[in-house]
Amino acid sequence: MPDNSGYYHAAYIIAVAIYVLYALSIRRRAAKLRPSRPA
Amino acid sequence: MRNVFAAAWLIARKDLAIEFRTRSAFTASLIFALLGIVIFYFAWDSTAVASVDLAPGVLWVIFTFAGLLGLHRSFGVEQEERAIDALLAAPIERESIFIGKALANLVFVAGVQVVAIPAVGMFYNLPLGRVAPALFTVAFLAAVGLVVIGTLFSAMASNTRLAEILLPMLALPFFVPIVIPAAQATAKLLSGRPIGEALPWLKLLAAFDIVFIVACTLAFPFTIED
Amino acid sequence: MKVSRLSIVAILAGLAALVRVVFFTPFEAIQGPAQKIFYVHVSAAWCAFLAFGLVGLLSALYLWMRDEKLDRLAESAAEVGTVFTTIVLITGPLWAKPVWGTYWTWDARLTLTLFLWFIFVAYIILRGAVDDRALRSRYSAVLGILGALLVPFIHLSVYMFRTLHPKPIVAKPERPSLPNEMLVTLAVCVVAALIILGALLRARYNYANLRDAEIDSGGAHA
Repeated sequence: MPDNSGYYHAAYIIAVAIYVLYALSIRRRAAKLRPSRPA
Repeated sequence: MRNVFAAAWLIARKDLAIEFRTRSAFTASLIFALLGIVIFYFAWDSTAVASVDLAPGVLWVIFTFAGLLGLHRSFGVEQEERAIDALLAAPIERESIFIGKALANLVFVAGVQVVAIPAVGMFYNLPLGRVAPALFTVAFLAAVGLVVIGTLFSAMASNTRLAEILLPMLALPFFVPIVIPAAQATAKLLSGRPIGEALPWLKLLAAFDIVFIVACTLAFPFTIED
Repeated sequence: MKVSRLSIVAILAGLAALVRVVFFTPFEAIQGPAQKIFYVHVSAAWCAFLAFGLVGLLSALYLWMRDEKLDRLAESAAEVGTVFTTIVLITGPLWAKPVWGTYWTWDARLTLTLFLWFIFVAYIILRGAVDDRALRSRYSAVLGILGALLVPFIHLSVYMFRTLHPKPIVAKPERPSLPNEMLVTLAVCVVAALIILGALLRARYNYANLRDAEIDSGGAHA
């Protein structure tokens, strides 16, 4: 079996990071919208 | 229906008259195309790539960008002193405005092609004579596609804050299915293959033209209504 | 801030899919660990195509019914779709390099995905460049519809480009029929990605609604 786990790990780390960062970016934008009231 | 085209013809003539009197955009696009031909020559290792292999790419990259240069002016010129408002107030169909603008742009792009294709033939020493009719057919079909897409997006882009920066971003993805068949058909013709080999590409171009002439004409009123 | 129930389900589904891929799916003998990229890649790709279809559909519906909600949903689908397409375009080459021997080939599907990304990005930039809300909705709807019309042409022209051209030297193995275990993992990942798509879409749509409501009530954001 070829050892290419570097690609495997990189792909999953990047994909999960993008999902998480995007979800957080929506939250941040929503929070900025109405600082006084809960969204 | 006849009125639609009569009004479109009036608009096209108005645009062409402006262009003919100032000649600013046409000259700029033409010089841009000629400069492109020169730059491409020096960006290319002539011992490694035959000119016949390079020419289709050169031609189509140049037409795409020279077209963009001219298309932006199409509605940009109406923004000055809000000339577009007078155009919209005129008792004509919105479709006429689009068809007229597109016709003027087609003359514009075709004008660049009429000069640029022989220029490429001369500078790159291509056997143009025999294939010229077929080549101009390809160029015309491609120009129609470039122009309908470009005219619609020019109308949209001229109303945005980004204006001329936005037009290439909107239009270039749509130019890809034009440039691929056009460059491929040009390559077949220039390398002396029978015209039948270029036919599938011509059909694809024609199909693109039909679909997007209809779609863009129908979509245009949405881009200007108040 | 509260986290919605759908978001919690999406987080759990994502974690479950990740655990399934990492710990409960065997390595493929020939392709090695990199083959596992397939799961995150394919599931994101399906969601990306789905989002693109949604943008086209919602655009047409907007021009027909002129309901601002449709436009905000299209706006959300485009942004979420861009995220999925970005993941597809990053994980794809990372899988292709060890398996095919090259990061990229210009085959019809890869090229199409790249152009979906370009159109999505142009759509988002266009929205950002128009201040008038009604105008912005119409412009983006027009782009959404034309983008949907463009897809078959890109696919056909790239497909013809490839078939009428000499094939590249890069070996492209036929897709092997997946053993059951891997098929289940793929199904888990697709379901998880669809739930994540739904959760992101809803969160983004809620945000768009709040934002426009605030503008309507004369808030600070213009």
